[in-house]
Amino acid sequence: MSDAGRRPIDLSTATGARAEPQRIGPSMSFRARLTLGLVLSAVLPLLVFGVVLLLVEVIRTGDLDPNLVRVALFVFAAAVIVAVLIAYVLTTNLTAPLKAVSRAVERASAGDLSVRVEVAGEDELARLVESHNRLAAALEQRNAELRRILLAIGETSPRDSLERLLAHATRSARAAFGMIDARIELGDPAEIPPEEDIPGEARPVRAVLALPDERLGLLLGHLPATRAWDAADQDLLELFASEVAVAIRNLELFDQVERQRLQLVELDQAKDEFLRGISHNLQTPLTSIRAYAEQMGSEQPDPRLAIIVEQSDRLYRIVRQLVATSRLESGTLRPATEVLAIAPRVRRAWDALGASSVGFELEDDAAGWLAIADPDQLDQVLWALLDNAVRYGGGTPIRARVAARPADARLAITIADQGSGVRPEDRERIFDRYERGAAGVRAEGTGLGLYVSRSLCRAMGGDLALEAPEGAVGATFTILLPGEPPATDS
Amino acid sequence: MLAGGWRGGGGAPRILIVDDDPNLLVLLADQLRNDGFEIQTARDGEEALRRLDGGWPDLLIVDMMMARMDGLTLAREIKARADLPIIVLSAIDTADSKADLLEEVAEDYVTKPYHYPELRARIARVMRRLGDKVPRRELILGPELTLDLRRRAATVKGQPVQLTPTESRLLYALAANLGNTVSTETLLDRGWGDTDDADPSYVWVTMRRLRQKIEPDPDHPVHLVTVRGIGYRLVQQPTA
Repeated sequence: MSDAGRRPIDLSTATGARAEPQRIGPSMSFRARLTLGLVLSAVLPLLVFGVVLLLVEVIRTGDLDPNLVRVALFVFAAAVIVAVLIAYVLTTNLTAPLKAVSRAVERASAGDLSVRVEVAGEDELARLVESHNRLAAALEQRNAELRRILLAIGETSPRDSLERLLAHATRSARAAFGMIDARIELGDPAEIPPEEDIPGEARPVRAVLALPDERLGLLLGHLPATRAWDAADQDLLELFASEVAVAIRNLELFDQVERQRLQLVELDQAKDEFLRGISHNLQTPLTSIRAYAEQMGSEQPDPRLAIIVEQSDRLYRIVRQLVATSRLESGTLRPATEVLAIAPRVRRAWDALGASSVGFELEDDAAGWLAIADPDQLDQVLWALLDNAVRYGGGTPIRARVAARPADARLAITIADQGSGVRPEDRERIFDRYERGAAGVRAEGTGLGLYVSRSLCRAMGGDLALEAPEGAVGATFTILLPGEPPATDS
Repeated sequence: MLAGGWRGGGGAPRILIVDDDPNLLVLLADQLRNDGFEIQTARDGEEALRRLDGGWPDLLIVDMMMARMDGLTLAREIKARADLPIIVLSAIDTADSKADLLEEVAEDYVTKPYHYPELRARIARVMRRLGDKVPRRELILGPELTLDLRRRAATVKGQPVQLTPTESRLLYALAANLGNTVSTETLLDRGWGDTDDADPSYVWVTMRRLRQKIEPDPDHPVHLVTVRGIGYRLVQQPTA
């Protein structure tokens, strides 16, 4: 029963087994039979009369006058021809209404139910025409009903509230099925007892709001006692009820998705709020620590103070990475487009890292090209890549190179270490969030560096990629940025 | 153009620092006093507004995130009273971007933890610009170009164009000397006073980009004119 509502409409099975067309009478067309009948009724008496005439002549004279026979044959032939012609003309007028009926039936079976045939009189033909007209009208009404039901089904939108959906569904059921009243009871259909059908009173109907896996309730209502109600009507009502069930389920799912979405938005805001709080609460003391250490260092140089400054800068960079992640995700990051010389910037970023024990080589082949980038964001990218190179390079010297690519107006910054490199299977994974070079091996840092760097580069109209390995060792990253050719004073 | 603006010779420039972190307040006041500024401090927005009643400073340094009255509200309050230059000093946070702040209330923006030399360079740059007399409203340079430097915006052939902070700083210096040549060195100083590695090519490239943005025909500039070997000149064209 649970799939009752899912059963497709099949009107042929619903109205019972299709009857085999019955053949009545000989296999001759109506018109041929009529013609033959007319001809025979005109010619037979003539023929009998002629034969009698000839027989009387033979008995009377004892001989047959060939002239008389010739005349008789001629008259007979003429009578046959005249009879055929008359029959033809008569049957033409007789079959015209039949043709009209047959055309109307053809059009009706092609889908046009609006054609009605009119025939004068009250004979069999008129009755046939009238019954065709009734059939067409009934079909037309049923089609309109189906159309209303389909429309009613299509109209339920998941954005409606449950009350509105139920109100709409009962309204549609009343309109589509011609019910006196209709209501929807949610809950187990088995608990709602069927109403007794008393002849002569409004007929109770019901259909289960059925889903493949669940029965949500019942559609109940009454029909006028005069309304015919057969298996096809019941099927349609059940189909309608199951569509209502689907709409209710969709509404529930939609609500659920909407609730989850709101929850996610809330969580996301909480995360941003948290990051903002963290960044503020870290940066405030950090600012004092750094500024005091810097001031003391300027009064009395001490390498320990330099370390304090360096390490507070390091902490600051981590905070910035977290903030940048949050901004990237909320879409509030808007890079500035300033004109920048790249090589000095790379040098300064390197100095800021304070990795003085590692060798660093910077090659400037930019030939005067300047980059168009956001200085703060570019610094973040450079810090992250240089820091990675130090961390994964295992103390090997780091090489950086700045070069212009005039062909596509780009500046390329490559940063290469000679450490263990990146495993082929990790080449794209390392740009994901919270990923580190070799999973879990060195769990330093936030795991956001490359993700943030690539996102920042792309936001600035550039890109960040890991170069294909040259030889066995090291990793080479390339930053691409929009570039401007050198300009002269003109 | 600025009420209470720094008048050059009138003694040490006065700066009002507003920050709710007392450690920072003391230190920053100390650092700036050492460099010859006259410093007042305020722990929150209300205190800052009270101090304004007693006399206008030449410049304010305002922390954006303060517990009692946030920096943005304070900055708006200040701007409602007098057009005093404000440098925002703030921890970066996730919601506001630098550009929005600059556009609305601040002349410049320094992130915490600040590098004192950078902060000082920016103060100097803002101070220098105070001497530049630029119309507060729109500057109509010709039938197809109008500048609105306070909003870092231009209108070119009826279309709005957004200028970068650097571009608007350069135009500010040029507009203050409308019709006269401004040297490349001056422009370099105004545009990139806080960076060591800037060189004249910064000015040249930025001017080229600026022409692409604001000149009706970038290949035949009529407003941003190069004075070979010296610098640039902003030219006003007669409106038809």
